[in-house]
Amino acid sequence: MAMMFMFLERKYPVISYYISEFLVSGKNHRASLLAAAEDAGEGGRHRNPFLPDLPPQPSSGQDANAGHPSPPSCSLLSAGRCFAGTQNVSNIQKDEAWKVNVRIHGCDLEQGYLCGTMEALNVPLADTPVVTFWEGEIVDAKNYTFFTGKWEASPEDDIRHWSKFPSFTPLLSQIETDGGKSLDLSNYAYIFMRWKEQYFVNVGVDCGLTIAGFYYVCFSCSDGSISGFYYDPNSSPFQKLELKCTNEKDSGFTFSSYELQ
Amino acid sequence: MDLRSKLADCSSTYWHIAYIYGCNKFLYDFGGVYKQVVDASARALRMIYQSKLAPKFDVNNDENMKFLLTLLNRENENVTELAANIISHSCDSNTEQLALCAAGVPQRLINLFGGSMNLRDACLDSMTAIIRNNWEVASRFALMDHGKALRSIVALIHDRSPRTRLLACLCLISLSHASPCHFQDRQIKTKLILVLLELVEEPGHVGDDAPLALTTLIKDSVELQKQALSTNAVQKLSNHLLANSLESRRAVTILLALAELCSKLEESRSQLMSVQASTLILEALKHTCADIRVAACSCLKNISRSSKVLSAGKLSCDTFIAPLVQLLYDSSTSVQVAALGAICNIAVNLTPRKSILLHSGAVTQLVHLSKSMDPTLRLKAVWALRNIMFLLNPKDKDFILKELTLSTLSSLICDSEQFVQEQTLALVHNLVDGYVDAVNYVIGDDGMILNAISRQLNNAPAPGVCTHGMFVLTNVAAGGELNKEAVMNILVPCRADRVKQSFVVNFLQSKDKQLRVATLWCILNLIYPKCEASSVRVVRLQNAGLISQVKGMINDPCLDCKLRVRMVLEHCLDNADDGFICMLKQYHVSVTSTSQVNNRRPVDVDYPGAELSLSSFVGEEARRRPEASSEKGKKGGGVDPMRRPAAGDSPFLAARLVDESMCQKNFDWRVRNMVEASLSSE
Repeated sequence: MAMMFMFLERKYPVISYYISEFLVSGKNHRASLLAAAEDAGEGGRHRNPFLPDLPPQPSSGQDANAGHPSPPSCSLLSAGRCFAGTQNVSNIQKDEAWKVNVRIHGCDLEQGYLCGTMEALNVPLADTPVVTFWEGEIVDAKNYTFFTGKWEASPEDDIRHWSKFPSFTPLLSQIETDGGKSLDLSNYAYIFMRWKEQYFVNVGVDCGLTIAGFYYVCFSCSDGSISGFYYDPNSSPFQKLELKCTNEKDSGFTFSSYELQ
Repeated sequence: MDLRSKLADCSSTYWHIAYIYGCNKFLYDFGGVYKQVVDASARALRMIYQSKLAPKFDVNNDENMKFLLTLLNRENENVTELAANIISHSCDSNTEQLALCAAGVPQRLINLFGGSMNLRDACLDSMTAIIRNNWEVASRFALMDHGKALRSIVALIHDRSPRTRLLACLCLISLSHASPCHFQDRQIKTKLILVLLELVEEPGHVGDDAPLALTTLIKDSVELQKQALSTNAVQKLSNHLLANSLESRRAVTILLALAELCSKLEESRSQLMSVQASTLILEALKHTCADIRVAACSCLKNISRSSKVLSAGKLSCDTFIAPLVQLLYDSSTSVQVAALGAICNIAVNLTPRKSILLHSGAVTQLVHLSKSMDPTLRLKAVWALRNIMFLLNPKDKDFILKELTLSTLSSLICDSEQFVQEQTLALVHNLVDGYVDAVNYVIGDDGMILNAISRQLNNAPAPGVCTHGMFVLTNVAAGGELNKEAVMNILVPCRADRVKQSFVVNFLQSKDKQLRVATLWCILNLIYPKCEASSVRVVRLQNAGLISQVKGMINDPCLDCKLRVRMVLEHCLDNADDGFICMLKQYHVSVTSTSQVNNRRPVDVDYPGAELSLSSFVGEEARRRPEASSEKGKKGGGVDPMRRPAAGDSPFLAARLVDESMCQKNFDWRVRNMVEASLSSE
């Protein structure tokens, strides 16, 4: 979530900021990205890399008709897990960060689906913490690719945001080649997601906040840390979300679980 | 007509007589000229075979098969229809289906499609009976006459007669379930959905059965459910339900079809919740007919599989909770089971509204049902309690625990049903997550719960039971030193029977990755680096062969396991770095303490302020193993590699023992260097 569109942001269009941040540029590159994004629409399967920390390798192509393996199941990314941290909402006017708590409510790796709630604590003008319900798309090259294809996000926007994550860098060249459809992320120690807030849980839509945008998210399976960037063309760019797993207590990790019938 | 209805309703004795008489007479007149008699006999027998009480006609018997084929080959439609009815009634085993197929019955039935409407319907019904759940027959049929037979049935889904359309749909549904590879045409499946949705509007049995056929068609198939959704199935079925009363059988079948549509698809659930149907479901929960109550509960159960619906709190309001809780007291067990299913899912609700469920009287009845003699009721009640316990605040956890009692919990952990054991352990695992008092309950009271868990884990039951058992121990081990010690004593008991390998080794070698992950988390919590006696626990786990087992998992095929293995090994090193010297000091202090108790001067180097770091564990060890003090001072020569450091050992010997043990087990050169460095610095 973010503050509603502000005058200053209108005065200093975000695009100027984007230009400075833009990692890739030029017409040819745009064309190749668009082609890669189109390409990513088709499924495919690939070989498992041997080590988790190695970047995923492209497939041999021999088993191109088989189904994609799901991303790795991670005990730190399951229903009931809680995360706490901040969302940096600084703009040209002032530096500001909200305290944020996130709780995972459901996770279905097979469908590439994840959902949960996000609570923003010290939001100006809000009397209570603002809670939103979000749904996530897990990038698995089966259900979802790195290219958003909606929510006003162009392939360039996607690459620009994903490239902010160091763990994305080893994947970039393959994504530019074929949209990432031949990447096997099933044994990669990072899970990439998009989180889209769906509704406000405890306040009305007139609370002064917007949930028009969405988050590019990278989850580390090793320590359960989450980093993300909020994207909304009408809000401050690159609002950084940084979360740590709070199920780690002073002397160990705790777990809860539920099972639906 | 009187005779017919009598025959249809007759008791088994009556129809036996009628059957024998009818058959004989019929056979008698078979070759004769009395067509009317033949017709009457055939009609009478058809009426008999419409009764579920009629005996099966054994088609495995050669004589009977011949007789059946003779009937099928007659020109008289009354007779051929009778043959089809006999097949529908009697064919339900694999061998019977294969025997009829081998005798060419499917071909003959297809040829009879050109006859009267009744004959066609009877033939379709018997085709369904022959194909049902039989891959071999279904695939032979699909390929018969280069697919012509199949096409003739597909054509019948557009027949003028609604009954024929329904029977053709049922036959194709049977075929698609028995042999999916021969029935992949997506267009035909979409047509089936459309035809069945139209048939819901038909009066009588056809309209009543059409939703059931739709339910069978889309069951467990996301793809077909999506297709049904794209044809507005939820809207059409809801509209029909809203336009008509809940009194008919159709209301039950429509509710069941809606439940199936909501079993997997989020969109179906939100559509159903957005229309007025949710009010109707609420009415159905309070209906006098048990079947309608069951169907309404099934709908709610499947809708509440949606985290989105649950998080919005739409189902956790008193409007839904109160009637559902009321159904937990229902006189019908099937209604109770269905209500438990819905409550179980709604109980997951993560919003603060969870308290509505807690204060609705549900917990008392759930606890009561968890003691039921009926295993299904017991399972579902415990399952619901487990989901209620999920991320509950400590005050409410306490409330449930008081209702449930520790003795009930411990007997449920050792229940005769494995799934009850599993859900109970999951309940305990949720109970002790982050709730210190509950952990104390679990550890305390003579360790009733922990003992029960320990027994179950040592008996090595199903992986699910072990996984949840290990997660209980993981959560307990996330607590203080006492908690960790309690868990250590289960994993590596300090008893004489050391010869027995710890069950943890088996768990780490399990094929079930969840069990491996749970076990690794438990070990991780035990050796959590910031904790006082973690380094001592590392040594104990190492001596029990667990750390070397973990080392062997460094290339585990499961990424989650592999990452936890790394964490365990890193923690081992951290503990070695931060705590090993401290451990040596602790051993020394325990020597000092023991010596002082025995009125002897300490013989080894004293560490200023070392008393402050006296570990309760080492003290405990000293009390447990007084006999070890006899080995005090064995500095030179070889030491028993299997012997563990003990109170009374000099720091040198303690270090040496640990060192020897670690070298032998190829633990880590860094730890060895640490020992050497610490000794040389002295």
